[in-house]
Amino acid sequence: MTASATSRPAPSLPRILGQIRPRPRWLELRLLALVAVVLIVGSASLGATVRGRPDEGADLFDPSVWLPLDVTALAIYLGALFAAHAAQVLAGRRTDQVLLPAVGMLGGISLLLMQRLPQDLVGSGFFGAEGLGQVQLVWLLLSVAVATTVGIVVRSDSWLRQYKYTWAAAGIALLLLTFVFGSDVGGQRLTLVIGPISGQPSELLKVILVIFLAGYLSENRALLVEQDTRLGPIRLPPIPYLVPMAAMWAIALGIVVVQRDLGAALLFFGVFLLLLYAATARISLVIGGLIAFFLGSAVLATLFEHIGTRIAIWLDPFADPLGAGYQVVQSLHAFARGGLLGMGLGNGLPLVGGRVTIPEVHTDFPLAALGEELGLIGVLGVLGVYLVIIERGLRIGAAAADDFRSLLATGLALVVGIQAFIIAAGNLKVLPLTGVTLPFISYGGSSLLVNGLVIGLLLALSDKGVEPPPPPRKRRLDRILRRGAP
Amino acid sequence: MDGFLIGLWVVRLLFLALLYLFLFQIVRALVRDLRAATQSATAELGRLHVLASPAGDPPVGVAFSLDAITSLGRDVNNSIVIDDPFASTEHAVLTFRGRDWYVEDLGSTNGTYVNGNRVEGVAPLGYGDELQIGQVRLRLERARR
Repeated sequence: MTASATSRPAPSLPRILGQIRPRPRWLELRLLALVAVVLIVGSASLGATVRGRPDEGADLFDPSVWLPLDVTALAIYLGALFAAHAAQVLAGRRTDQVLLPAVGMLGGISLLLMQRLPQDLVGSGFFGAEGLGQVQLVWLLLSVAVATTVGIVVRSDSWLRQYKYTWAAAGIALLLLTFVFGSDVGGQRLTLVIGPISGQPSELLKVILVIFLAGYLSENRALLVEQDTRLGPIRLPPIPYLVPMAAMWAIALGIVVVQRDLGAALLFFGVFLLLLYAATARISLVIGGLIAFFLGSAVLATLFEHIGTRIAIWLDPFADPLGAGYQVVQSLHAFARGGLLGMGLGNGLPLVGGRVTIPEVHTDFPLAALGEELGLIGVLGVLGVYLVIIERGLRIGAAAADDFRSLLATGLALVVGIQAFIIAAGNLKVLPLTGVTLPFISYGGSSLLVNGLVIGLLLALSDKGVEPPPPPRKRRLDRILRRGAP
Repeated sequence: MDGFLIGLWVVRLLFLALLYLFLFQIVRALVRDLRAATQSATAELGRLHVLASPAGDPPVGVAFSLDAITSLGRDVNNSIVIDDPFASTEHAVLTFRGRDWYVEDLGSTNGTYVNGNRVEGVAPLGYGDELQIGQVRLRLERARR
């Protein structure tokens, strides 16, 4: 017997037996067609607003006024979405059909937004792309490509499951690398520059965290649920199993202290607590974790000035509306100007002295820009699309065959959901403002690529496997008929 | 108000309306999916997938659907008959309590193993865990929905 035969085979995603044959995905095609119509109408509205502004007497029936703002960019983007659809049809896997249209809609809204913002918000272009709109288009295309490739190619999850501690070590190494070699941008040490490549490792770190937690919790779930350490009236899981929890808490607070990145810390700790709850169904752990986090944050807020200022701005941005509270105040004004139906695409964000009123609108405040241009109705629609993505992720998790895949899908959906919630709440002054990106809408290469990876993994996990053979209805009918005939 | 501005407003509102039409279509698909899942939910609580079986009975690749109490062993009166020379006649029993599976060894000669560890009395069993009875290895999986 060889060594490979004696070792236990890792459970893997279902394989397609025999020949791969194309499988139509009608729901996806229908939804993508609707995405195309929505984006074309939006782009026409944007184009007409931008073109109609210089001469007030634009002609209603002049077709050139109603052309989309950037016809080629929109055509390339929609073409990429349909190409992704075609690739999945050809691959013939029974994967989820709602995720791609939902993400395609968010990406398209992002494209419209970036096309109408001042194009010089981003420094240098690449691949021949110049300006904010075109660079964002390139990243969106790469993100869709990553999602589709991962969704088609990944069939086994053993490379994630078996090397969870390796993944965790790689994640911590990445974090330490950023701590030491990261370059400071705007007082936050988030960006890692290696040669010509620069990126934000905390984006990748959130995926690694979910993989590790899913592996750890699925292995130790039974122990975490069953055994108790009694500490007075409080029932806790056995002490050794609390160590990773304490480590997570320390890492989250370390990110706050060293990187000054409150958003990533909130995101990591939120995902951790919710996954712990999903695995154990013990609300006491969540409450304990929240108390520990708030105590830690309160202590840090008194010790470090920048956290204290963030909270002071959150409590009263109008105390210093032209200084510290400027961004938040402008964001609130933008939402107020938008009202119920918005000013229309391309009509918001007045420039004051040649500059946009909200600094960092393309990374941190895209929701405020959407709030101004599409109004409350539009913002609720966009948030609704995020809810759809979360629902799909949780559904994929609930249908998964084992605990690892279940927790992995749940965690990946929660990462996208919590991140969207944190930044949306920051824009709306519900939470202190933190610098995380709005998934699929904010400008930024790392964010788009990693979120594409998340969607790709969700697609791979949603594979229902080989279809069970149809019941032999007809043959039985034949037999009954033949038996009845003589 | 001139015609162009009215036309512009119509297009803007059309964009919002279409966004909601898209959401409505998705939600309808999701509701249909959830309804189908609840209706097709059978009494099946979990599946036991045969990974290795040197004696050939049960055959490799077969998946048994489990009831709340499932007994395993060499005797023909067991829910799942494991015809393996190293399995006892009444070897182990799987029970589903609340939301978790448990395996209990019924004093078998060669023991019951979960992920390679011998079971003493009752042990919890998670989805994806591996159960070994005699030379037969089985994996617990969630019921298909």
